[in-house]
Amino acid sequence: MSQYKIIFTGPVGAGKTTAINSISDTPPIKTDAAASDMTKSRKAATTVAMDYGIMNLAGGEKIHLYGTPGQERFDFMWEILVNGGIGLILLLDNTRTDPFQDMKFFLEAFDKFIGETGVAIGVTQMDISTTPTIDDYHLQLKTLGIKPPVFSVDARVKNDVSVLVQSLLFSLDPGLEEEA
Amino acid sequence: MSNNAKSPLKVALHAMDERSVRTMVMYLKGPCQGAAVVVDKASAEVDIFDGDSVNAKQLLAERLAKPTVKQVIVLSLQNVYLDNVVSVKKPVKSEDMLGALAEAKARFEQAKKNSPTIADNEASVDDIPEEKPVLKSYTINTDEQNKTSKHQTAMQLNEAAFGTYIGNVQGVDVNDPAQFAKATYVPKDYFQGYIQSAINTCQDKNETLQLHSGWRQLVLLPQSHEIWLDAEDKELRAFASLKLDHAPSKKMSLSPFHSELSTLTKSPEKFHSMDAFVWKLACWTSKGRYPDSIDVDHPVYLKHWPNFSRLLITPHAMRIAALLVQEPRTLGDVAVVLNIKPQYVFVFVSAAHAMGLVAQARRESDELVQPPDLNPIKKQGLLGRIISKLRGNKA
Repeated sequence: MSQYKIIFTGPVGAGKTTAINSISDTPPIKTDAAASDMTKSRKAATTVAMDYGIMNLAGGEKIHLYGTPGQERFDFMWEILVNGGIGLILLLDNTRTDPFQDMKFFLEAFDKFIGETGVAIGVTQMDISTTPTIDDYHLQLKTLGIKPPVFSVDARVKNDVSVLVQSLLFSLDPGLEEEA
Repeated sequence: MSNNAKSPLKVALHAMDERSVRTMVMYLKGPCQGAAVVVDKASAEVDIFDGDSVNAKQLLAERLAKPTVKQVIVLSLQNVYLDNVVSVKKPVKSEDMLGALAEAKARFEQAKKNSPTIADNEASVDDIPEEKPVLKSYTINTDEQNKTSKHQTAMQLNEAAFGTYIGNVQGVDVNDPAQFAKATYVPKDYFQGYIQSAINTCQDKNETLQLHSGWRQLVLLPQSHEIWLDAEDKELRAFASLKLDHAPSKKMSLSPFHSELSTLTKSPEKFHSMDAFVWKLACWTSKGRYPDSIDVDHPVYLKHWPNFSRLLITPHAMRIAALLVQEPRTLGDVAVVLNIKPQYVFVFVSAAHAMGLVAQARRESDELVQPPDLNPIKKQGLLGRIISKLRGNKA
């Protein structure tokens, strides 16, 4: 059976692990937790450097939810991760000094993948830092010549993450309909 | 085995946490084809620093102060210009990294030949860009977190719930293409029009204003982009559908809000974001019709996606948004292409129009070019099942 995956990316603290946790059917595997266990058992070679969750679909299919490591920013990880990916969820932390710089960085880094699939952007922490606004993000994106969905998101809230992922899928094909 | 792997460069990693170290080990082994291998600091020929870590500047300063034949590679998001330092800009690409390793190796071999006389390193760590603080300073207003209405997540209506929730208009079948011309409404005739006008006024004045409508108390707060209304949604829904009397004696008025804001914050559930308020008000006013200012025979387009996570999501709203953000289409065409009832298109366009997100394509080229039919994506079945899962949590 093919491996289908949705990639979650964004800077450290943007809520990737939390977002994956919100829609995953299994508790996400956190690298840090895995690392401590691995350290104890001295099996560091098998440790992964990403966050991971699963959505189980009707018929036994699984959608793998991968979170990119936020700090490392090695493009080789991303190349491996995005291979066969359905699309990209980019989470941005509105409390960071320059979330636009973060946005441009990740959009450029995943440029090829986004061109082949699509991207939906979730802005987190908007209740703490109300600026930039969602409209400000759209203005920035206009200069980049793209019009992806941009939603304010609380990564802890399943519905927020769900709506964001749905928008990604509808961006890929507005003709999509629910299937049993 | 590659030539590199036969005599890999020995590198030590600095200013990296355990996770980064593991990633780096994998990276050198995999994409870099074993060109370098991570060893302990004493055995290393090259020191690799993560220039963006918190303590990178200090560690690098200490390292550069030591006369040694060992070479230095710095990985950084910013350009690093230091003498005798090879820099690699993040995201680190295999090609760049291999080039940096080769350069460091050549420098190391050369330095060894020149040893034991080692020139003092002239590089100054002051040349490294200061790491910017990554967080803004802000004050958390705990009142904000109590405004449940403002932070309530979007409700998604299915088709069955839509009719009951939105209501319908007597005397016109909005889904009959022959009656499209009659399926309009004038927002100014309803509470929606007054609210939109009041919002414009309070934003222009940047002043908290109270709307005197003869109905419930309503306060507009432009600075927080909120509306406070002393009514429940079901009451607002009923009021939204009433055509209002424009007689001078019935006109609504605005006045500065003089009371203490604390009188409002006692009822945090009555706060609404302006956008969410206008959006749902337009949905309820529309009842499946579209604003009369839209020409049903001309294409419309969506300027950008609405912030759906904070808005009422009517049936097929995301599909309609995805389509109209791609290219202009007539409202009827949207319904045909998506194979949905026109009322769903009309109600979405009414709400998006109230937010200023919809515009009519007036350029000649927009009308001459017939929008293409949809090309179904190969994985349509799979993606549809993901949507079902996300909406209904079916496993």
